[in-house]
Amino acid sequence: MTPIFEAKGIQKAFPGVMALKGVTLSLLPGSVHALLGENGAGKSTLIKVITGVHQPTAGTLLLDGQQAQFHNPRDAIAKGIGVVHQERNLFPRFSVAENIFLEQIGSSYLTPVDYARLNREARRWLDALELDIDPATPVSELSVARMQLVEIAKALSLQSRVLLLDEPTASLTTSETDRLFQIVRRLRDDGTSLVFVSHKLEEVQEICDRVTVLRDGANACDSRSMEGVTRHDLVQMMIGRAEGEGAWRARDTSAQPEVLGLSGVSTELGHRDVSLSVRKGEIVGLYGLVGAGRTELAKSILGQSAVTGGEVRVDGKPVRIRSVFEAIHTHGLGYVSEDRKTEGLILQHSVLANAGVPIWRKLGGALGTLTDGKIRDAVLPYLRKLEVKTPSLAQTAANLSGGNQQKISVAKWLAAGVRLLIVDEPSVGIDIKTKAYLHELLRELADNGTSILLITSDLPEMIAVADRIVVMDGYRVTGELPNTGEYDSVSRAVMDRIHDMGEVG
Amino acid sequence: MQQISRLSRTDWFGPLLATVLAIAIIGSLSKNFLSPYNIQILLLAIAVNALIAFAQMIIIAIGQMNLSVGAIGGLAAISFAGMMEVWGLPALPAALLALVIGLLCGVLNGVLVRITGISAFVITLATLSIYKGINLGITEAQPFYGVPAAVKAFGAATILGPIPWLLAPTIAATVALWYMLRRLPVGRFILAVGSNDHAAGLSGISVGATVVIAHGISGFLAALAGILVVARLQIGQPSIGDDWLILSFAAPVIGGAVLAGGHVSVTATALGVVIVAIITQALVLFSIDPFLVQVVLGALILAAVGLNKLRARDTAKGSL
Amino acid sequence: MTLQDATYSSGTDDSPLGPRTGLSRSRFFLSNEFGLILLIAIFAIIFGFATKGFFSPFNLFALGRNSAVNIMIGLSMMSVIVTGGLNLAVGAMGVCAAMVCGWMIESLGIPWPLAIAGGLAFGALLGWINGWTVVRTGLHSFIITLATMSIFFGVMIFLTKAEAFRELPPVFTEFGRARVLGYVSPLLLVTLVVAVLLAWLYRGTVLGREMLAAGASPAAAELSGIRVGRMVILCHMLSGALAGIAALMLVARNGAAIPSMAGQLGQDWLLPAFLGPVLGGTLLQGGKVSVLGTVLGAFLVTMLTSGLLMLQIGAFWVQSFLGLMLLVAVLLDKARRSYLARRNLA
Repeated sequence: MTPIFEAKGIQKAFPGVMALKGVTLSLLPGSVHALLGENGAGKSTLIKVITGVHQPTAGTLLLDGQQAQFHNPRDAIAKGIGVVHQERNLFPRFSVAENIFLEQIGSSYLTPVDYARLNREARRWLDALELDIDPATPVSELSVARMQLVEIAKALSLQSRVLLLDEPTASLTTSETDRLFQIVRRLRDDGTSLVFVSHKLEEVQEICDRVTVLRDGANACDSRSMEGVTRHDLVQMMIGRAEGEGAWRARDTSAQPEVLGLSGVSTELGHRDVSLSVRKGEIVGLYGLVGAGRTELAKSILGQSAVTGGEVRVDGKPVRIRSVFEAIHTHGLGYVSEDRKTEGLILQHSVLANAGVPIWRKLGGALGTLTDGKIRDAVLPYLRKLEVKTPSLAQTAANLSGGNQQKISVAKWLAAGVRLLIVDEPSVGIDIKTKAYLHELLRELADNGTSILLITSDLPEMIAVADRIVVMDGYRVTGELPNTGEYDSVSRAVMDRIHDMGEVG
Repeated sequence: MQQISRLSRTDWFGPLLATVLAIAIIGSLSKNFLSPYNIQILLLAIAVNALIAFAQMIIIAIGQMNLSVGAIGGLAAISFAGMMEVWGLPALPAALLALVIGLLCGVLNGVLVRITGISAFVITLATLSIYKGINLGITEAQPFYGVPAAVKAFGAATILGPIPWLLAPTIAATVALWYMLRRLPVGRFILAVGSNDHAAGLSGISVGATVVIAHGISGFLAALAGILVVARLQIGQPSIGDDWLILSFAAPVIGGAVLAGGHVSVTATALGVVIVAIITQALVLFSIDPFLVQVVLGALILAAVGLNKLRARDTAKGSL
Repeated sequence: MTLQDATYSSGTDDSPLGPRTGLSRSRFFLSNEFGLILLIAIFAIIFGFATKGFFSPFNLFALGRNSAVNIMIGLSMMSVIVTGGLNLAVGAMGVCAAMVCGWMIESLGIPWPLAIAGGLAFGALLGWINGWTVVRTGLHSFIITLATMSIFFGVMIFLTKAEAFRELPPVFTEFGRARVLGYVSPLLLVTLVVAVLLAWLYRGTVLGREMLAAGASPAAAELSGIRVGRMVILCHMLSGALAGIAALMLVARNGAAIPSMAGQLGQDWLLPAFLGPVLGGTLLQGGKVSVLGTVLGAFLVTMLTSGLLMLQIGAFWVQSFLGLMLLVAVLLDKARRSYLARRNLA
């Protein structure tokens, strides 16, 4: 079969970064092609090159064997390449029909819009997706899943021959995902070439027949058949080594006192009956899929949202934490956010300012005076220890690499001397070397007596670092198990605990 | 029941209810309130204030703000009066030229916002000062008195009973705006850009052109308001427009406009204007200190944004 | 400050070039503050030659006195811009504070130092109202302060019946007329002391740093243990107190507390309030502040106004010039930033 679309030797350079180093991808008609890779591997850059948002620095795009050039997204759309982006691109107050056809309206400013015709034509594409929605409904009244389907209808209405779906299942429930997959299969059978980007490998194995894996801006595998490819193979290609091997070591903290304990906690965000306990020097992993309520639990513990029932204990004593200020300054709890850029760091401020925020109050003298020198003395040892690479302490945090930014957001808590650190998705968007270093650091911290609650959706990471794993699903704790460091058995046990819940609920 | 909840979700239902209530209460307290003379005064105020509010509303629709509405209105007003007095132009060409001046001032705002990428707040603060300065430079703070009799007559004439002719251009503008935002692609583009300019760009809408068009419309409407004020006051006051800033925001906000952009309602904004006019007029009727009008305006804005916020929270909950 | 950050971006951790030498000097010459000093010098020379008496002791005195007020108004706005917000009510709050001070002296017979403190406290109270409303409603301060501007001013006019307090103790007028070293107004000295204190606040205290952090990134600041809501309220209170000082300076200059001294609704202060900070390079998005820039910016504006008036260009055109200057300044700043960004990325 001849490919409908090919990307050959695509390079894309951004100032200071080579995001794609000669990537190849070829799509067959009537197939579902998985595009995999860790965050930062270059998936989204590749998608943007294919859809005309970015121009490649080098390399060629071939459509039906003919060289093609897309100067902007409209070019790509015109050539039959549709995309459903990860972020919503709908206008909530516009009707479904208008959202689907906004591109077509775009040709004129003053021809009145014929909504009756729009609704009629929209019906056609909604029917194709077996979507029973009145086309005149405002999009804002739809569920997130249906919005997703409207975006797909929009892409279909452009008669796309190549359809890219970027993390389409991120916000869908299991049954909605099944619906989507039926549609994907039908489109495939009709000859459309689909590209499926997802972090959920189970889904990839279910729906995709071909796969391309990117690692570090290059092909780890190039458009091969999924036949005979195991989950383990995929992971190995994505992270470049066998997962979890050798890094884990058994640590015994059973004799240590409890630092943080939750008993039957419910929150205003919807958690029910959550119980867990973290001992001194222990690393407890909190595993769950995106949307399981882990970050939300962390923020409730920190006092950003209210705990409505149950008991929160710090050092065995029941406490009521009303604000993050209290969590940090009274109880010694720190939080490394998954969202480094908006929650973890103050990007426009200097490295020095960022590393010192939680201890400013401690360092402040009479009248609250505080000098850079004092802050430098307090934080420099930790920045050095974590080997933060920056030309100077006055450097703006925004200008550092993801790994160095992450080191700063950890360093500030070390400097603050917190007793329990909640670490949320620490290795998103950082390179593999730094990731290994971070894991070593977390273990070292724990060895020195800091308790760690590790939130991650990266199972290999969890199994490499945690002493004990608490599994969450649907804002509840669905199980708890010791970590033996053996990937296969532990991952199976973790998955069982998530699936159990799914069947009960 | 469902009918009511559906109605309560529309933008115009709340303001309409408030309008009817206000008329009923004030009408029962004061016999003069519904007298033809009083209604005429009310309609005159509405005629001008609606245009001022629309001039701001169209910019709120794209998620920006225009501080220079009053300065453009004032400049157009004194241009209109000045061209008639100094150059002896007939009223119609003078009015057209003044509208063109307003349009150009608005377009300049839009172009500057677009090419510099600087917030509309700063740009229109600067142009506010420039337009106002030109106004003062031309007039040296002295009014133009030489407004032709025809314009004066237009300003005082009534179509039918208490309905003044001045209301005619406003009604035309209202209908045109309503039709544009509902039916014409350009109106839909304005709302789309205000709702999510990134997505609008991906859908092939020219975001830059849309922003400039919206500012152009704003300038045009402000100029129209300025011309009507000249007809009403019968002189070209340089101070026209000085007190429009709060007025321009009050009605759209009362009408449920989302300041972040993407959602405005012509009907609800018009009702917002009516509410403001009624309350202002009532304060005068009950001989309450006119300075308290400002307080009431401010309180109305606060109350309206608070209510909008609550309503947004309710609909968000409702859709879950 | 932003400039410094931009220039450093050449040396990311794995840059093969390493840190460049000679940048620190050009960094100063490309800074906003240097640009302002240069402009001030150029215009001083032009006005010195083109007008009679620009450097006369009387004019220098008047210039200092006017710039004292304008700088203070700019600082008042700046202290809210720190949070990424705006304060349209600066004028209304300032006048209200001054009227309260006048009322305390005239109607209550309170000694003037206490009355001044009372006026400033009242300014801070109005700021608290703004800040609290902004934090509680989660709405942008633009719309909140637009409404409160109208409310504060309206209530004030209602209560005072638009009448001034003219029977103030002579100490006010004496202070307004006094000259230090022949031509320096003590009002300017007050302003400079306040500016130095503010610079110290933002650089050298926990409170100021927390204000900046809260403005730069509320989410990150909150999760680092800063009480962001409290910081926003404090910034608004500071703004109210500074607006009060500015208005009291006008009282000293006029010898009376006049309700209309900042124009209708206090709107006359809006332009000077934004000119200082924006010319001075304070980011409207919040989180970065330049006290020196604001001082220089406001001074430049005052000097230009005075010079243009002396050149007899026509008092009425001055406002257009100021608007044009704001426009040119933001355009230049934009160009400067993109030049720096390009140079560093190349």
